[in-house]
Amino acid sequence: MHTSELARTRAWADTPPVERAVVQYEVEQFLYAEAALLDARRYRDWLALMAEDVEYWMPVRRTVTNADIEREFTKPGEVAYFDDDWAYLEMRVKKLEAGSAWSEDPPSRSRHFVSNVRILDTQGDEITVEACFHVYRTRLERDVDQWVGRRVDVVRRGGGGFLLVKRHLFLDQTVIQSTNMSTIF
Amino acid sequence: MADGTAHPASWDRAEIQALFDSTTGWLDRRVLSDEGLYQLELERIFARSWNFMCHESQLKAPGDYVVSYIGEDQLIVVRDEEGEVHALLNTCRHRGNALCRAEQGHAKSFVCSYHGWNYGLDGRLIGVPGLSTFYHGDLDKSRLGLAKARIESHLGFYFATLAPDAPSLHDFLGVTGRTGLAMVCANGEVEVVEGVQKNVIDCNWKIAVDNLFDWYHVPYSHASANTAGFFDIARIQFPKSQMVMLGEYGHAIGGPVIPREVQDQIDGLSDAQRGEMSRAQPEGSPRIRPKSATDLMGPEGVRSQGHPNIFPNLWVTISGTQMCLRLPRGPSHTELWWFTLVPKAAPPQAKREIVRRMNHVFGPAGLLEQDDGENWSQSTRSARGVASRGLGQALSMGLGRDEVRVGAGGEHYVEGLIGEHGQRWLYRAWTEWMSARDWAELEATRSAPPTGLI
Ligand code: FES
Ligand SMILES: [Fe+2]
Repeated sequence: MHTSELARTRAWADTPPVERAVVQYEVEQFLYAEAALLDARRYRDWLALMAEDVEYWMPVRRTVTNADIEREFTKPGEVAYFDDDWAYLEMRVKKLEAGSAWSEDPPSRSRHFVSNVRILDTQGDEITVEACFHVYRTRLERDVDQWVGRRVDVVRRGGGGFLLVKRHLFLDQTVIQSTNMSTIF
Repeated sequence: MADGTAHPASWDRAEIQALFDSTTGWLDRRVLSDEGLYQLELERIFARSWNFMCHESQLKAPGDYVVSYIGEDQLIVVRDEEGEVHALLNTCRHRGNALCRAEQGHAKSFVCSYHGWNYGLDGRLIGVPGLSTFYHGDLDKSRLGLAKARIESHLGFYFATLAPDAPSLHDFLGVTGRTGLAMVCANGEVEVVEGVQKNVIDCNWKIAVDNLFDWYHVPYSHASANTAGFFDIARIQFPKSQMVMLGEYGHAIGGPVIPREVQDQIDGLSDAQRGEMSRAQPEGSPRIRPKSATDLMGPEGVRSQGHPNIFPNLWVTISGTQMCLRLPRGPSHTELWWFTLVPKAAPPQAKREIVRRMNHVFGPAGLLEQDDGENWSQSTRSARGVASRGLGQALSMGLGRDEVRVGAGGEHYVEGLIGEHGQRWLYRAWTEWMSARDWAELEATRSAPPTGLI
């Protein structure tokens, strides 16, 4: 279902390399800055980078045979780990700020790596970008969690910067090897 | 994870029974950490009881299968060409390789990826490469079908057992277990939504199970979800209006209840009036169920707004829209499988709203469950230290304060303040399952649902 997201559009591929390099640089800098806010636990500042119409989604991944591969991920509207709009993301942030989010107090120590950044398309103000993520989290004495996957983001230009409009996270684990995912990806 | 090499320590009957004192609520913490007890649980609880496998909506067409577990034994649950459902041990009779390595799918037959033995959907061995040449025709295929578990269903929920002498699923569930499953179907026939959330928590499986009866933890453990505006604890908890139903074999339902006099008023309303009443009340208020739910859940069960546990490890959540299996993975690890269910007949928009809400409650990223995992794993950890495990756990809340009532449908229940009756019933049943050597002994020694002051 996501193969269309894999390929760069013709229009983008045909854009002159110098122009593409500038956009690539701008988008990458935005994604790194966003990741840095999460690592620094600046959740309110991070929330300010979310567009009002943001769609933040992580489907369930399943171990299936090649014959059944189109069922590997659940589809929008089905069961998902994250199925958030702006209001739900704000709830996650409020929860972290509440002073009683026990799974994040003492806070986790997390590092968000973003790599293999490829711009797939631009449509007006919006840029579709694919990336790999690696979120490393350690908490308490010796709990270690790692979440690796691919994501497809849409960012929107405005006000001298970008806002995140869409984040679809395709995790590589099927049985999540973690007590929780109290982390924002 | 269990490494499979541990031998069950020799726990005799008296030692097992001393692990929980139901007269004081004192629980020996080794119950949560001992490798020998864990191995014994696999044999005496999981391999002996009925275990939830899947819902019929997950097996729509012949050849559809899901892989599930009884303890650490993996099973293929599959619908054959005749529509019959089988539970087959997922292990080849040649050298033991797994037949299915996907968690779900569709098959015409099961071909082993090691040497190619081929099994029908009913588990019969139908093909062996080289049967006439390498085996010289000298292999009795009829004796080498896949091992089968007994499988039966109730309201569309399939359960399997490895014990030939277990009672029927209907009798095993008893009134409490059947009421618990009926809670899911209170608004009509249901279907499982695509996607089962799965994650591993570093806790003993029983810590996860006993927590579902624990309405004491809600305002404290889940305070941050309240502050965030996800739910209103004051509205959902009903600390003074609780019911705990205690059933056969350790099943129980615990949590808020609609008082009798309020239910009497509801009973006089038509479904249309009930619908109006539901829409008029704020989110999180008691669920007003349709008339038909009383037939399914019984006159007392229909009042329950609590959490059923089908012993040993199937939790039906309060709203009946989610169910969670707690699969044992060694004394210190539990795999959680979250199923989401919606009424089949609900309009798509209503289904979508239920799913979206449920996507945010439980599961590893759920606004509630995030904090549960933290508490459960730390409570399990403290059951390992020599000094700390010696302290025991104190499950004494409400002990000796509530009189058991018996309903017209044979329900045994108490009503009153939040307490720990459900947890005590669970561990009492646990000692009985664990000390019985077989079904006959379990039947002869287990406690019937209690009466009198508990
Ligand atoms: S192990 Fe299955 S065919 Fe040999
Ligand atoms: Fe909880």
